[in-house]
Amino acid sequence: MTELASMEFHPQPQAGAARPWAFPAPERGELDNGLTVLRCHRPGQQVVAVEVLLDTPLDAEPKGLDGIATIMARAFSEGTDKHTAEEFAAELERCGATLDAYADHPGIRVSLEVPVSRLPKALALLADALRAPAFDDAEVERLVRNRLDEIPHELANPSRRAAKELSRQLFPASSRMSRPRQGTEDTVAGIDSAAVRAFYERHVRPATSTVVVVGDLTGVDLDDLLGDTLGAWTGSPAQPRPVPPVTADDTGRVVIVDRPGAVQTQLLIGRIGPDRHDRVWPAQVLGTYCLGGTLTSRLDKVLREEKGYTYGVRAFGQVMRSAPDGTGAAMLAISGSVDTPNTGPALDDLWKVLRGVAGEGLTDAERDFAVQNLVGVAPLKYETAASVANTLADQVEQHLPDDYQAKLYQQLAATGTVEATAAAVSAFPVDRLVTILVGDAAAIREPVEALGIGEVTVVTAE
Amino acid sequence: MGHTATPEAQSGGLTATEHRLANGLRVVLSEDHLTPVAAVCLWYDVGSRHEVKGRTGLAHLFEHLMFQGSNSVKGTGHFELVQGAGGSPNGTTSFERTNYFETMPAHQLELALWLEADRMGSLLVALDEEGLENQRDVVKNERRQRYDNVPYGTAFEKLTALSYPDGHPYHHTPIGSMADLDAASLEDARAFFRTYYAPNNAVLSIVGDIDPEQTLAWVEKYFGSIPGHDGKPEPRDGSLPEIIGEQLREVVEENVPARAMMAAYRLPQDGTRECDAVDLALTVLGGGESSRLYNRLVRRDRTAVAAGFGLLRLAGAPSLGWLDVKTSGDVEVPVIEAAVDEELARFAADGPTAEEMERAQAQLEREWLDRLGTVAGRADELCRYAVLFGDPQLAFTAVQRVLAVTAEEVQAVAKARLRPDNRAVLVYEPVADEAEDAEAPATDENEESAQ
Repeated sequence: MTELASMEFHPQPQAGAARPWAFPAPERGELDNGLTVLRCHRPGQQVVAVEVLLDTPLDAEPKGLDGIATIMARAFSEGTDKHTAEEFAAELERCGATLDAYADHPGIRVSLEVPVSRLPKALALLADALRAPAFDDAEVERLVRNRLDEIPHELANPSRRAAKELSRQLFPASSRMSRPRQGTEDTVAGIDSAAVRAFYERHVRPATSTVVVVGDLTGVDLDDLLGDTLGAWTGSPAQPRPVPPVTADDTGRVVIVDRPGAVQTQLLIGRIGPDRHDRVWPAQVLGTYCLGGTLTSRLDKVLREEKGYTYGVRAFGQVMRSAPDGTGAAMLAISGSVDTPNTGPALDDLWKVLRGVAGEGLTDAERDFAVQNLVGVAPLKYETAASVANTLADQVEQHLPDDYQAKLYQQLAATGTVEATAAAVSAFPVDRLVTILVGDAAAIREPVEALGIGEVTVVTAE
Repeated sequence: MGHTATPEAQSGGLTATEHRLANGLRVVLSEDHLTPVAAVCLWYDVGSRHEVKGRTGLAHLFEHLMFQGSNSVKGTGHFELVQGAGGSPNGTTSFERTNYFETMPAHQLELALWLEADRMGSLLVALDEEGLENQRDVVKNERRQRYDNVPYGTAFEKLTALSYPDGHPYHHTPIGSMADLDAASLEDARAFFRTYYAPNNAVLSIVGDIDPEQTLAWVEKYFGSIPGHDGKPEPRDGSLPEIIGEQLREVVEENVPARAMMAAYRLPQDGTRECDAVDLALTVLGGGESSRLYNRLVRRDRTAVAAGFGLLRLAGAPSLGWLDVKTSGDVEVPVIEAAVDEELARFAADGPTAEEMERAQAQLEREWLDRLGTVAGRADELCRYAVLFGDPQLAFTAVQRVLAVTAEEVQAVAKARLRPDNRAVLVYEPVADEAEDAEAPATDENEESAQ
């Protein structure tokens, strides 16, 4: 039974004339101490975003001290030569600022957000943190204990547990990428303030660092401001570190991390592939979006909107680490969770979708939709200062030119269906995917084995 | 409707005009030409508080059905058309409202209005059993993913149930129970639409790079012929005594990674000066890394891995202040509880210092700048103040109200409300070998979204 509606219907309206928008071009400069500066004025953005990149890749961590970059990043906001840890936190919050720092494979990112009216004070605090961190014994010891307390929480989280297992499976044990970014209980326990200070002295200096400042800078004399704050940071010159090559074993296989009684199975299916330096990147972005970018993409069309197995499954490409010579890599993956009884059928459908893309290819309509969305959302996506700063910092971190993102939009628009299909197929080949399932092995093992998507092994969750 | 295009004093230069169509649809427009984008936001005055016993989760399930097509839009066409136009759509359901929004490139604004009008006026033409069965499964998987399959995942649901008595409209959370989701029928969904989805039960805000005259003409063209209708039942009364009067308590034994103490305090309703005052009190006590509880439990005593307070502002019932402390190592919950009680009592006795007030006000000010810094955030706040308080202009002066609160008012509300006999406590004690895993979700716990 359907109902008649009593409203007046109109044909679907046509779009008006598009108004011009371009990804902002930053202005590049350098302070006397060698610190690279990228700045970008964004009218109306009263909350200014400041991103600092430090050349402290995880592979620089001393042997046996995995997690020291994370502890150092956190220790930046735990006191300086002017303030104790408590005072520093209080001063930052008095500016209405937030300061976050995290360590990943390419290096440490320190992110400050603050209303422009209090930018001078917040920049001074940020400069103190980088120039003269206290690394007080007791504070570092507390950060270490706190980090040790966090680890069981992470292992209990299905998606984080899956990510940890995928890294362990993909990368050789000798590679830093095979191990948790923030260290393990064994390695973190061995970190102390002396080790943190030694790591800082060896790897942190303005000459190998970059700061990105984005926001409404009307009336702000940024040169003076930076000169007075980050300009006071000193350090020796240094050569950039070589980037080790990334290798991975993507032999098709399935690893079940056993969670007896789990009501859902967390899926993470991945391998590594090209990063943004590769010419295939725009096609890979389009192909990955067509496969699993949104709930009308191929995977969710079946797994969510037809079958109801999941709240949503996404495919994505995420750069792990890039090198100037183009030898970097991105993680290519499909993730989501499905209810336990439908784990086998959901994986079966997922593989059918992958085979379907390989067999029949993507359609022109799918490719057009992906381009229209990915290019069209740019003005929305980059409305805030923080989102612009983040992308500019990513470009620096990945050794890309400052106009990379602006040009990427042109390249996406120029990429055809055939190239997008080829990129999707080579990104997700059905026989070269490592499948991690965090779920109830007793319930899902047999149905998954029956699919023939690779040898199935079970590991116990710690 | 009256127009107000002159900026109120201290509204940050933002203005909005208000209009009303003959069918009762309220419309709020706000221009901002800095970026070529426009946000469309539609709040329906219906949330999980309107649900009846045995049908919890219906408002949220219904929100999913709003993305399953209407007279002129096939299947998931709403998502496809918006995303294909370079826009970003979604919808969410909370205790007090259901909102639908799309941020569009400015030249695609008319499409968003056409789509929202089509489903407001003709959803039932397309609503069928197949769509309901499918979205029922999707929502059940949403519940598993966000709550049932993560450690502490059902804490908010349990605290809500403890804090608002059985039969109270806020006793259950928007996600609803599995049994009630199973029980929802097509006829329930139809009746829900007929009761609550009417132009006179909604506010539409449009913010961004818009031509107000043209925009209003489109709104009239697409929404103007949708008939308004009355007959919406008044939501059940949400008022409760100011103080619970006893300390409620539940101990949960589950396979969680660490002991935890969580608590919900009964606090003043949103829209009052006392609510702004208690927001400041909770920020001083448990917001960020210079708060009293963080300094005491995480920095000095080292008994907790994380400690903080959050405020769930509610307009139709007492607000809820949510304390969340995860213990460090083998620390027992009574140790945490004693420290929390001591800090809260000290705060009630002495009030905030001048510096603490400055910090808390600076933090809340930045949060407001963030919320009003995007067209979508502004559109949502305009709807919020229009639906819950009858005046969208209040969105632009909200930060001034927070800054006007005095230390004495903060102390007074803390003394009156942050007491052991005004809270529900949830204690987690880990046990091995049960069917639960993982960490509390990072998502907003008091609302559910379509994707």
